[in-house]
Amino acid sequence: MGIPKITDITSQLVNPDKIEDSPGPYCMSFGFDIRPLAQSINKVGLVNCPLVIKNKNAGLTVIVGYRRIRALKMLGWDRIPCGILSESDEVTPLDCLLLNLYDNLATRKLNEVEKGMVLARLHSLVPKEEMLEIYMPLLELPSHEPTLLFFLKLEQELSVQIKETLVQKRTSLQIAKMLLKMGSEERDHVFNFTSDLKFNINQQKQFIDNINDLAAMQNKAPYELLTEPGLRAIIENKQLNNPQRAKAILKFIRDRRFPSLVKAEKTFKKKVSCLGLPKSVNIYAPPYFEDPHYRLEVLFREGRELRDTIKRLTLIEGLDELGDSWE
Amino acid sequence: MTHFTLKKVLVEEGAREHAFTDEILSRLSGIPVKNVRGNNLSAAVFDNSDMGKDTLHLLSYQGEFLKPCPGTREYICCGYQILNVAANCPMNCSYCILQSYFNQPNLRVFVNLGEKLERILEEIDSKPECIFRIGTGEFTDSLAIDPIICWSDVLVPKFSKKKNAVLELKTKTTNIDRLVAGKYRDRIIVSWSLNSPTISAHEEHKAASLNKRLEAARKCQSEGFVLGFHFDPLIPHPGWKEEYLRTIELMDKYVDPKGIIWISLGSFRFMPGLKSIIRARHPQSCVLDGEFITGLDGKMRYFKPLRIALYKFMRENLEKWHKNLGLYLCMESDDVWQKSLGWSPKNSQGLRRYLDRRVVEIFG
Repeated sequence: MGIPKITDITSQLVNPDKIEDSPGPYCMSFGFDIRPLAQSINKVGLVNCPLVIKNKNAGLTVIVGYRRIRALKMLGWDRIPCGILSESDEVTPLDCLLLNLYDNLATRKLNEVEKGMVLARLHSLVPKEEMLEIYMPLLELPSHEPTLLFFLKLEQELSVQIKETLVQKRTSLQIAKMLLKMGSEERDHVFNFTSDLKFNINQQKQFIDNINDLAAMQNKAPYELLTEPGLRAIIENKQLNNPQRAKAILKFIRDRRFPSLVKAEKTFKKKVSCLGLPKSVNIYAPPYFEDPHYRLEVLFREGRELRDTIKRLTLIEGLDELGDSWE
Repeated sequence: MTHFTLKKVLVEEGAREHAFTDEILSRLSGIPVKNVRGNNLSAAVFDNSDMGKDTLHLLSYQGEFLKPCPGTREYICCGYQILNVAANCPMNCSYCILQSYFNQPNLRVFVNLGEKLERILEEIDSKPECIFRIGTGEFTDSLAIDPIICWSDVLVPKFSKKKNAVLELKTKTTNIDRLVAGKYRDRIIVSWSLNSPTISAHEEHKAASLNKRLEAARKCQSEGFVLGFHFDPLIPHPGWKEEYLRTIELMDKYVDPKGIIWISLGSFRFMPGLKSIIRARHPQSCVLDGEFITGLDGKMRYFKPLRIALYKFMRENLEKWHKNLGLYLCMESDDVWQKSLGWSPKNSQGLRRYLDRRVVEIFG
């Protein structure tokens, strides 16, 4: 079937009940809000008709316009104008898929889950080389096999809940990648844990990274660590609000993952607090104590005040002992 | 001899015209050979869990053959020059940075080395005031596939005649036969990468055992070669002090410390992307267990006091064995040098001078 023929199809009014509710094999819509589209149709009507194809069960499968059909059903239309294809039109599954893909690409950007859906659907219809050379760039992805495999796994293995979080940008592709490296059971445990605590993206990354490390070091599954008494105590502490609880958990995990570093940080903090520095002065350690230089910060309004502060600083006895806090 | 199994050979277009290709293929009878285009292997490899370690890939390399070691200015670098003869390695060390360093699979051997070598030798001759410390063991093992490629036949005679250069062949194998059979010794350093017995046995897959490496070192020393050793990466693991001590005891058993030009010490460090590769390729590995922080160069490295403890322990025990071993740290800061070795070259230039002096002391 060629493009002119599709263009020539005239729409027919269809009973919405005959159209499948699921996106089917050709549509690639995920994580969308149907309300703006419904409002638009309600206001100005249906501008472009969906395209459907007759299926073996005497029903209709959506090729193009899944969201529109969802909106129309929501609005309670009892007849929907659709272009209808049938098997006699000699249209292949790949034709249908590409009709949907190009129709979508012309009007909007696909989200990451939808890109995974496209690639997963193409996977059974198109050779790998063609996917890498043609369809990955079309989706603004690099022609890179591991990237292709990642998007296929993303579609096939991640739960709907994780996909929704990804589309809503409450988690990142990097974190999805980390989660995909876990078994499905432990992935769900870890994801639910981070979701319940409403970790932000940086916190999720830090948490998953450290929990994976600790699990590998102790030869345990990550979710086994989540049931440990120390963590449970923080979770069940009613004195803490959610952000405080999230911070306390991250600290608990970090203390266990980096005992020497945490000890050095505590010692340094103690040393500085014992100095009795003027209120306008602070001393900071370099990140992870890697750079040998420490930083002194002095707040002042005018030179005289600065001179006074410096004088007071030179009289602090403990300064000579300030140095690498692990020694 | 350490043997590695090759299952196939790929010959890239442009490689056939080099005599080196025919010589290599003549040593590989019975292994299927396939001609390939240059760019049809680009689609990535790193899901291929063996990284093409059983595929020898002959190609004409268009990049620089001699290039400085990719050190970073945040840490003190030794100013080593890498002679880039090949990429990737048939061994499978869990900690190997090459797992994330290259975006191409296979044991890639650059068959146009011969024609590029003359220019490199001319460059060395054009700077008689400089000492070129050159090695082939950064992006591959210097001797692992030497029985097939015979780099030692090509490189050793040429470098042996240079008065302002040394060639270091760094390995974890026992493939020294060609080297020993040759007549050249001057300006050639044969080096072994060493670790603790446990790390060596559990993390350095397909490498020769420590004993075998040191037996090979003894053989080379008895045949008149200068030796080097590299404890890189040092990895703290349960009982690491006793473990590294055992390695030093083994060194004492096999080699005369007076014939060692240098021993480098470096702790495990890696680009962050390597971590997930190690987890996937070596799930049983312990090399990620330490307390890693982000270093000044963006690489992950052990928290400073842990590094200092490693180096200090190694220095104290190596110096108990022999005072003058040319100990140096690889990619460390001035304060770590001071606190662990008790002195510091201050900067990369200082370390270069120190190692150049070692070359002059040993080779004249």
